[in-house]
Amino acid sequence: MSLLPQLLFTGIGIGSIYAMVALGFVLLIRSANVVNFAQGEFSMLGAYAMVILLTGFGLNYFVSLGLAVVAMAIFGVVFASITYWPLRDRGQIPVIISTIGATILLSNLILATYGPSPEVLPGLFDGAGFLVGNVFMDSQYLTIIAVTAVLVGLQYLIFEKTMVGKKLQATSQDKEMASLLGIPVIAMIFGTFAYSAALGGLAGILVAPILFVSVGIGPLIALKAFAANIIGGFGSIPGAICGGLIIGIVETLGASYISVPYKDAFAFLMLLAVLLVRPQGLFGERIAEKA
Amino acid sequence: MTRTASSTGRTALYGILALAAVIAVALLAPTQGYYLNIMMQAATYAIAVAGVVIVLGYCGQLALCQAAFLGIGAYCVALGTVDYGLPFFVALALGVVVTSIGGIFLGLATLRLGGHYLAMVTIGFQMIVTMVLTNWISFTRGPDGVSGVERPVLGPLELGIGSHYLALCLAFLVGVTFYAASLKASRLGRAMQAVRDNELAASTCGIDVFRTKTIAFGISAALGGLGGGLFAGAFSYISPDQFTFNESIVLLTMALLGGVQSPVGALLGTVLLVLLPEWLRFLRQAYLAVYGAAVIAIMIFLPRGVWGLVADRFFKAAPVETGPVPPLPLLSRKGEASKEIVLDISGLAKHFGGLKALDGVDMAVRKGSVHALIGPNGSGKTTMVNVITGLYVATAGSVKLLGRDVTSFAPHERAKLGMCRTYQNIRVFRGLSVLENVTIGAERDGNDVAGAQATRERALAALDFVGLRDVAGLPVGDLPYGHQRYVEIARALAGSPEILLLDEPAAGLNLTEKGEMAALLKRLKGHGLTIVIIDHDMKLIEQVADHITVLNFGKRIADGEPRAVLAHPEVIAAYLGEPRNEAA
Amino acid sequence: MALSRRFALGLISAAALAGSLVPAAAEDTIKIGMAAPLTGVAAEVGHFQQAGAELGIERVNAEGGALGRKFELVIEDDQTTNPGIVLAFSRLINRGDLVAVLASLRSTQVNAISADAKRAGIPVFFGGTDPSLTQNGNPWFFRTRPNDSFSAKVIADYGVNTLGKKKWAIVHSTDAFGTAGAKALTASLKALGIEPVLVQGFNNSQADMTPIVLAVRQSGADIIASYTPLETDVAVLARQFKQFGINAPWVGSASVASTTALQLAGPALHGTFAVADYNSAANDEAKVYFDAFSKKVGRPPDYTSAWTYDSIRLIAEAVKKAGSTEPAKVREALLSLKDFKGAEGTYNFDQNGDGLRGYNIVRNDKGTIVFERHIAFDK
Repeated sequence: MSLLPQLLFTGIGIGSIYAMVALGFVLLIRSANVVNFAQGEFSMLGAYAMVILLTGFGLNYFVSLGLAVVAMAIFGVVFASITYWPLRDRGQIPVIISTIGATILLSNLILATYGPSPEVLPGLFDGAGFLVGNVFMDSQYLTIIAVTAVLVGLQYLIFEKTMVGKKLQATSQDKEMASLLGIPVIAMIFGTFAYSAALGGLAGILVAPILFVSVGIGPLIALKAFAANIIGGFGSIPGAICGGLIIGIVETLGASYISVPYKDAFAFLMLLAVLLVRPQGLFGERIAEKA
Repeated sequence: MTRTASSTGRTALYGILALAAVIAVALLAPTQGYYLNIMMQAATYAIAVAGVVIVLGYCGQLALCQAAFLGIGAYCVALGTVDYGLPFFVALALGVVVTSIGGIFLGLATLRLGGHYLAMVTIGFQMIVTMVLTNWISFTRGPDGVSGVERPVLGPLELGIGSHYLALCLAFLVGVTFYAASLKASRLGRAMQAVRDNELAASTCGIDVFRTKTIAFGISAALGGLGGGLFAGAFSYISPDQFTFNESIVLLTMALLGGVQSPVGALLGTVLLVLLPEWLRFLRQAYLAVYGAAVIAIMIFLPRGVWGLVADRFFKAAPVETGPVPPLPLLSRKGEASKEIVLDISGLAKHFGGLKALDGVDMAVRKGSVHALIGPNGSGKTTMVNVITGLYVATAGSVKLLGRDVTSFAPHERAKLGMCRTYQNIRVFRGLSVLENVTIGAERDGNDVAGAQATRERALAALDFVGLRDVAGLPVGDLPYGHQRYVEIARALAGSPEILLLDEPAAGLNLTEKGEMAALLKRLKGHGLTIVIIDHDMKLIEQVADHITVLNFGKRIADGEPRAVLAHPEVIAAYLGEPRNEAA
Repeated sequence: MALSRRFALGLISAAALAGSLVPAAAEDTIKIGMAAPLTGVAAEVGHFQQAGAELGIERVNAEGGALGRKFELVIEDDQTTNPGIVLAFSRLINRGDLVAVLASLRSTQVNAISADAKRAGIPVFFGGTDPSLTQNGNPWFFRTRPNDSFSAKVIADYGVNTLGKKKWAIVHSTDAFGTAGAKALTASLKALGIEPVLVQGFNNSQADMTPIVLAVRQSGADIIASYTPLETDVAVLARQFKQFGINAPWVGSASVASTTALQLAGPALHGTFAVADYNSAANDEAKVYFDAFSKKVGRPPDYTSAWTYDSIRLIAEAVKKAGSTEPAKVREALLSLKDFKGAEGTYNFDQNGDGLRGYNIVRNDKGTIVFERHIAFDK
């Protein structure tokens, strides 16, 4: 009995989670040139917000989902005004360090409030899934794959086909020039933070039925999502998606055929290999600084 | 090195005093228990934190795996002494060697790329190290860790006694702190800081950016290994969970809190962060949240850490003692207004995707001449200078410097042959003083000065030449915009260039300043320096140029004597097509 | 640049300040130290440990203390880390007025203080279950939980002799606890003439267990044993076992029957077995403790706190018996105690300092943990 189809399904499911978080991550790089190490904490917060609304207040699933995503968008703006805005002119590294600080702050605030015991968050569907041949299709993985696909499509349309998308791209490429052209650069950047946080929160809500809701889910997802970005090509949207899927598949296959304890090493070994052979990543362009 | 004999003596005296104090304190310290443990933890961590100062504070590279190096160093000592019977100090040295090799290898793989790549890859490396320490049970003993690390006897010190071992750790710490402090004022340290402040300018000043970063990372890793090795001896028990990603963040925060650009500050930060958790126990869980908030607050309000505050308050930048210095030997290179070609460019092209920024340009710069490169906005002038100096790789064509084909050379290799430049958007090294900025120019490989004293005199002479000798000791950021331009020019002049490329030296200057700049250019011309100048100010160009090349849409449309070129119909058309814009 | 001197002086004054923060206690109490994870990943467990010890103090004081003196607890936070417990422990020992110290539930932390504990020269109680901890010739170590060689023996005995299963798959986390447990179980099975068909390790905190679950299915095992400390990992495993149609009986380490795992995994854990050193139905003392703890904390107690409660009572008993708080005499008294009834079971310390030699088997009956039986060994 071949394990391959099952492993591929699981790999794509896990990979979609990484891809979704990587997507929020890549947008911040594109619009504000911010490498946000707290991206995983967005997912953790989104999941906790959902627990509060759904279990705490007993609201309807979709109402809770909507409110949680909106709350995360607002949080994104707050996050940007504290960790990014005061440091925006000091280069990339101070912002990276301040987002690392935010990671420690947020996870420990939640730990102090909710304690280390994980919470349960139900999925959209009650059933666990179904069998297709030998392959067990987990309904939550199917949901994640579907949502990721829809979001990727939407994002592509927004970025490439609408005026807002064009303005966002202009902002990321040259802030001064964009503001001369009358693009509200500040609004664009804060808007991206809001969207990125909402997306991260949504990812958290979707993975919670699989991973449970605990402080640990942030780093668990985020590190792989970062690796996905580099493997796919830094700042590339298709790169983030493919990078996420590749990591999901490689680590699942690697765990099954090579070694379970070293599962988490595969993503990073692949990352090192990509950097040595093709540093711009699969979809990236060569990076040149303007002199 | 800019120290005079008396200050060297004073430093040595301070060193001996510090060392004596340290040993006295350590011998009086308790031989076991809480205070001893906390002092040993602070001392060994501080050594690793000095590594963070070098790689992040000096060189501006964010690595997030210092705990991995700490762990490798610790395991070398623990496994080396317990399982393989190596003498303690051999194992300690082994740890330092292994970590520096690891650091250099990681650096080679990632440091060519931007800052965030190193951050990510080092996180990955950190996790792999933790995984290997945990899972390779037959070698590392796995999660149980290694216990029973014995300490040797060293001369009068019986290191088995806690306070004696603490003396050893503190002696290493003093050594490392002095090393890090002296590194900062050394040529290598200045190169690191130049890389931190402006990679492009560093490379065109002749600094091998990649090599400098890799060395910084290697030294940092080695210090991590040293701290780790001593840590293993201090606690005699180590386990993988002591060297996780979280510990890397702790080490990073220690450096940031104290002041990441100062080894003394980092020491202060380490002591604070070892003690703070002890003092703030009453905060319980909220302590770590406070800690995270503190990291953000430090970045926003205390970019130079606690030590930055102290230093600003108590130590003012010392005025630079300037005795008489010999004049800038620009004349030594002067040939006849010769026919000799210094820079020979043929068929040079640079394409960005479909855009042909440069399309088959020829240009020859004769020795001792001022060669102007003009053209409307977007005509490819700055691109041309960037290709000539190696910041961009040419799509086609060749660049010959003094008869040598340098088309495939890196910027620092071209600088070594005597090609120096300035930038349209000023690129000085903001974290350094005026004198240090110019010293970096004087230190370029291939320059005709040798020795610290001569280099310093050369830098002062260059500052003298542009009239900024009085402000040599100030941070360069404190100077007005126009003066920063002169610092850039002095930096290039201190390198005794064979050819000097000036990219819009008068941009952003007011009328008076423009007049001064013109005077300076004339003096340079009078000394027979070979110059390529880009500018929009035709008055300036007419005053100084011997020869003009005109670009439009990436092509050369005219070339020759100023009068003839400026009368050329195509040139007039190109300029009339677009109004003259002086502040491009 | 006399900074290093300033640094050292700063350290001394700072340390002195830190020391002065410890509140001065009444002279005449018998003080017992405790290093517990009040912060960090195991903060919740730390507070249970603290509550258990406090209940122990309350009880012995209610019974009149010892030598006419009351008992008092002195707590230090170990931050759930190894360096943390080294500092916390040395801080406790530095006081010089403690009769005994309660250390950690985590084996690596006990390992971390092993050398210091040997030098300290007072009894150190701990709940780490790695068998090797008491085999380093440290005369001051006392373990008030059964070690994992016994949990392994009990799992093997129950699976082979009661459930009648021969094809074993062992899944374990690769931390100290999981690795030591899997090793002990493999040895116990070998003693019963059985070689496991699969021994599979994994890192703590896995998002997905598909490769592990598939490996179990491939192996054709008819019984699964697990050594894993994290409830989330137990829950993910349980769910995926069900999804892949694996219904072999599962006998796991304590986490399989923990309240959190039950809540996370729900029906996926129904019908599983676990070893538990503490169960309220196992004996009378366990019932007494159950009532007291539930009243104080508002939730049922488990293995994380029963050992601290027992440790305090054991110390009090030993001080009474020795008629002195002198460490050597207290140690002798502890070793000579016979059949002391505690919440965790009946204590008889051997020369290594191991007090208990048995475990309870419990079963998840549709979400309720029920006591199956107690299995104990002589050595």
